[in-house]
Amino acid sequence: MVSAKKHVPIVKKRTKTFTRHQSDRFMRVASAWRKPKGIDNRVRRRFKGNLAMPSIGYGSNKKTKHMMPSGHKAFVVSNVKDVELLLMHNKTYAAEIAHNVSSRKRIDIIARAKQLSVKVTNPKAKVTTEV
Amino acid sequence: MSSNVSADLIWEISRNTNSYLVKRTHAQFSRDPLNLVNLNSRKYAGFVNDKAVGIAPGEKGGVVVTSKKAGSITKPSARATTTYGGNKTTRKTYKNVASQVAKSGYRPDLRQAAVARASAIRASQRTPKPDQEKKLRGNAAKRAAAEN
Amino acid sequence: MASRPTVTIIGADGKATGATQVLPKVFSAPIRPDIVKHVHTGMAKNKRQPYSVSEKAGHQTSAESWGTGRAVARIPRVSGGGTHRAGQAAFGNMCRSGRMFAPTKIWRKWHVKVNQGQKRFATASALAASAVAPLLMARGHQVATVPEVPLVVDSAAFGPAQKTSVALGLLKAVGAGADVEKAKASKKLRAGKGKLRGRRHRQRRGPLVVYSAETDGKDLVKGFRNIPGVETCPVDALNLLQLAPGGHLGRFVVWTSSAIKELDSVYDSKKGFFLPSNVVSQADLTRLINSSEIQSVLRAPKGEARTKRGAVQKKNPLKNKQVLLRQNPYAAAYAKQGLGSQKATEGKGKPLPEAFKQLLNE
Repeated sequence: MVSAKKHVPIVKKRTKTFTRHQSDRFMRVASAWRKPKGIDNRVRRRFKGNLAMPSIGYGSNKKTKHMMPSGHKAFVVSNVKDVELLLMHNKTYAAEIAHNVSSRKRIDIIARAKQLSVKVTNPKAKVTTEV
Repeated sequence: MSSNVSADLIWEISRNTNSYLVKRTHAQFSRDPLNLVNLNSRKYAGFVNDKAVGIAPGEKGGVVVTSKKAGSITKPSARATTTYGGNKTTRKTYKNVASQVAKSGYRPDLRQAAVARASAIRASQRTPKPDQEKKLRGNAAKRAAAEN
Repeated sequence: MASRPTVTIIGADGKATGATQVLPKVFSAPIRPDIVKHVHTGMAKNKRQPYSVSEKAGHQTSAESWGTGRAVARIPRVSGGGTHRAGQAAFGNMCRSGRMFAPTKIWRKWHVKVNQGQKRFATASALAASAVAPLLMARGHQVATVPEVPLVVDSAAFGPAQKTSVALGLLKAVGAGADVEKAKASKKLRAGKGKLRGRRHRQRRGPLVVYSAETDGKDLVKGFRNIPGVETCPVDALNLLQLAPGGHLGRFVVWTSSAIKELDSVYDSKKGFFLPSNVVSQADLTRLINSSEIQSVLRAPKGEARTKRGAVQKKNPLKNKQVLLRQNPYAAAYAKQGLGSQKATEGKGKPLPEAFKQLLNE
């Protein structure tokens, strides 16, 4: 397994999720973000002490966008042929085995990835047996 | 090729949709066997360019270098293949690859990519090292291991 | 064009017979994916059969709105009593057992008229594209074993091809076997309801065999019709839906030698239609740019061989030694002789006289 190319440090400007206004007060209001649209809404008007709204300023550095802490980007693979695409990119991309791949084929994929020194993000899923 | 088509035109037609293109979230690759870096770009798109090089692992180790024969755009089966290395040092393989691809003036711009791919393939042909045994972390784990 | 390109005619054994054929003029038609796509979308619609939901669906009740004042929505409600249905909302597309939104009608505009000139242009363009190997590969045809595109096979080889085994053997011999195999292996069950509607499977398209109905006869169709993915088409009735399936250029076409011979006369016989010509006679950009005609009128490139880089980050000469040396060449000697730290290395000066210290501390 090969480590990722050197990169500028990954800075997450915010790691908390943005929750919807008043989702804490009512069960029926889910926490998934919805932009408040009301004319008097204090969150929309950005009053002090209110919830923060998502904005472009929270965006990540383009160089580290979509990057995992290891410095790789994930590339979903479904078969051995997909892994071979990453032959020249094992320092920028890591293989992520798709959820619907059987454990038998996962073993092939992991073995091939090892030969190509491609990192697999989920090598243990479905493959390790419970002790 | 008649004068109504050129590599430029073919690229513009097929750059966004072609059978080799693999589109995933935030990534695009190419499965083209004549693509040295598996990227969907004009320079490396082997099926488009009049001259192109592909490097694939050989059956008995070593690498197989495939290139399009010049002036045979209408003949898809006209390919030149040579196998390099296998039981030789990788340096010799690289030298051979570089001289075929670049020194002969075929595609000098692909020298670096060709050697890099040959190198990656040769590295992948070695038997991978076994995983290091996991160190036991913490006293509880050590005790549990001692019991078994 | 001074000399039109030729194609070799391939025999039943897959080797060149030695005979060649001048490429018909259609193959130099402009390749226009936009026109082909547009014509294809129109033409593909012309085989549709009307469908719709029942006119009455969702309206087979005598529902009326209760109006305001009953603290319920003003949607029409089923009248009467004695059943759960009474009082339930009806008609609306949001209602259970209501009608759908904008019920489909059989008088939808199912068919699209495509002008004949456009259809002919698109067909010519698709034919030209079928002679470009990279476009065939981009479409996904397995043509790595094909000796030449357009693939022209001697008509004599198609004589005994009324038997499927012979026809398949012929395709394999001329290098089209891989594409047939690919189409055969691609047969999959269709996702969704189409399975129940006569579209049970979906599979890739293989090679298209174009023959001349007059000289080859229609019997060869029998040999090819049961090979999965392989289609046949007479040369005088070329169809865009077959030449550019899905509107994508570059169908792999196997021509009989008499079909390709006939192609010129097929286009000559189309009254009032002239083959489209290219706007640019040379499509190769690099060749255009490097041509002596263009190079001779270009002015010499401005600037020097080494251009000064514009917006580069200013380097701090106090931290970056290379930049310091560029600005102050003496700095090298200064550092080497240790002039900067001379005083420190020389040690302390003479200690002050004792009398002076006493005087100071008084």
